[in-house]
Amino acid sequence: MKSNVWSILKKEIKEMFRDKKSLSMMLILPIMIPLLVIGMSAFFDSQMNKPIEDYNKIGFAYEMSDVEKDIAHEVGIDTVFGSEKELKRKYLKEKIDLYVTKENNRYIIHGSESDNTTYATALADSYFSSYKEYLQNISLTNYHVSPKEIVNIITVEKDIVESENFFADYITNYAFLFIIMAITVSSTYPATDATAGEKERGTLETLLTFPIKSRDIIVGKFLGVSLSSIITGVISLTLTIVSLLAANHMFKIYEDVNLMLSSESMIFAFLVIIAYSLLISGLCIAIASNSKTFKEAQSALTPLTFLSFFPSFVAFMIDLKTTTLLSFVPFLNFTLLFTDITSHDVNFIHVICMLFSTILVIIVVLSIIIKQYKSENVLFNK
Amino acid sequence: MLEVSQLKKKFIRYNSKRKKEEFLADNDISFQAKEGEIIGILGPNGAGKTTLLRMIAGILEPTSGIIAFDEMNFKSNEIEIKKNIAYLSGNTKIYHSLSTYELLKMCCEIYHVDQSLVESRIQEVTNILNMKEFLYNRIGRLSTGQMQRVNIARCLVHDPKYYIFDEATNGLDIISSQIILNFMKEERKKGKCILYSTHYMEEAENICDRVIMINKGVVIKEGTPDMIKHETGTTNLRDAFFQLIGGNISEK
Repeated sequence: MKSNVWSILKKEIKEMFRDKKSLSMMLILPIMIPLLVIGMSAFFDSQMNKPIEDYNKIGFAYEMSDVEKDIAHEVGIDTVFGSEKELKRKYLKEKIDLYVTKENNRYIIHGSESDNTTYATALADSYFSSYKEYLQNISLTNYHVSPKEIVNIITVEKDIVESENFFADYITNYAFLFIIMAITVSSTYPATDATAGEKERGTLETLLTFPIKSRDIIVGKFLGVSLSSIITGVISLTLTIVSLLAANHMFKIYEDVNLMLSSESMIFAFLVIIAYSLLISGLCIAIASNSKTFKEAQSALTPLTFLSFFPSFVAFMIDLKTTTLLSFVPFLNFTLLFTDITSHDVNFIHVICMLFSTILVIIVVLSIIIKQYKSENVLFNK
Repeated sequence: MLEVSQLKKKFIRYNSKRKKEEFLADNDISFQAKEGEIIGILGPNGAGKTTLLRMIAGILEPTSGIIAFDEMNFKSNEIEIKKNIAYLSGNTKIYHSLSTYELLKMCCEIYHVDQSLVESRIQEVTNILNMKEFLYNRIGRLSTGQMQRVNIARCLVHDPKYYIFDEATNGLDIISSQIILNFMKEERKKGKCILYSTHYMEEAENICDRVIMINKGVVIKEGTPDMIKHETGTTNLRDAFFQLIGGNISEK
């Protein structure tokens, strides 16, 4: 007998695309991705490439020698002189970024924690470090000791492989985490509408009188919800790539990195999106099917939403690395693979493990729902 | 032929002490329905009519008993049976986001109406129920009467052998309910078997060939309207019903 999956799928697609709420759920979060990427990049860029004129006005409540003035000028300080009282007033009026007082050989840097003071403090530290080195050199020369022998008595070199660009890693990881969030949110609404919503509206009873196998109903609904999630995922991925490229050109912080994903990485990202969309759609349908009303289903799905984000945040926070075993763990495997994709370090075996685990979970979940739809309990929950 | 034999349906409910207890919504119900017959299932609210018809339509599973359509049962021939049934209740809802045409086309696909006949079948049903003016409008934008016509259309489009109507005229105005009653009469002429539950005794008296009276889940009388009136010594089915339940109007 011909399968009715296609008829159910067509119905679900029509219902979904004609419902403003379903459409907005599919599009709202992806549209926010460029805002997130460009917004965060602009913030990082403004912090890293802050013009020195914004924070280099430092007050000195003492007379400076010509040498001190030269060093201050060399490190970029715009010196302002005055009494401690005057400088304090200027500081409070934000006319200078901090001020320094002196008691014999003790210098005190004054200020309160703020963005500009932090930068100005770094500038003052640099000035005092250079000035201290100058005084040390003078003293050692007076004792006929070569400063080079003392200052460079040992040398320390760093051989640490650093991340190519901290901000690039940060922004790409967050963008991909956002894709996961967008897919999760976009699948909950249509899944609820296709199951609990249909029950609440009374159309499920009509559907169950049709000569359709419960397997065809569930597979049709599952494919419909998955399609919505995949569309969200693909839009999100496209917007992520476009906004990363734009950020790459727009901001100085990324000038030494290439944020463009390779074609291989894009294929892997697409595979991860499809797998995640299928998994989350299956789970959403399974949970929402047990609810009598739309509202009840939405409440029941809230923990799943958190469950889908939680491993991602944990993995991101503790800098978890992908292993074959972790590639089998639902939810966690998607985040880890996305991280690998952004760092251009994907292991094909891990992708296969993730796909295998996802397919297994989907089969189990769908079998449970199909069994549930064979029973009258799906309509008349006890 | 439809054969219902010793049908029982048990539900769990909570009593006044909030303890679970079993109760029989339908108990030992048996009857037969032949082609070209309208069988009325009569009884007050809560008598067990809806449960009975839901079991016959395959939405509910009987606790025990047999339902056989042309000697086929739901366990082994569910899809084949459902292809020959049309179920319509007063509460039956249809997809508001689809147009009438889309719904009918979907039904044709689901019931596997021959591809070459789909368009002509939709046109035929559209003409019968006078739906031309709103065929391409979304169902959600139709009036209650138009919506009920669409509901009948989706029952009719696959030309079923059996109709199951559960209080299908409930809440409808006189014109809309007359459309359904006329439709049943026409289908009877074509040799279709119709099960029609209602609590409007007069309506049933006018249209049904036989009636089955149910109260508290058990059949209290079965026969033609004339026969029941004769046997109870009453002039209408309403009085006959009260006579049969001993004048007890408690709904417990």
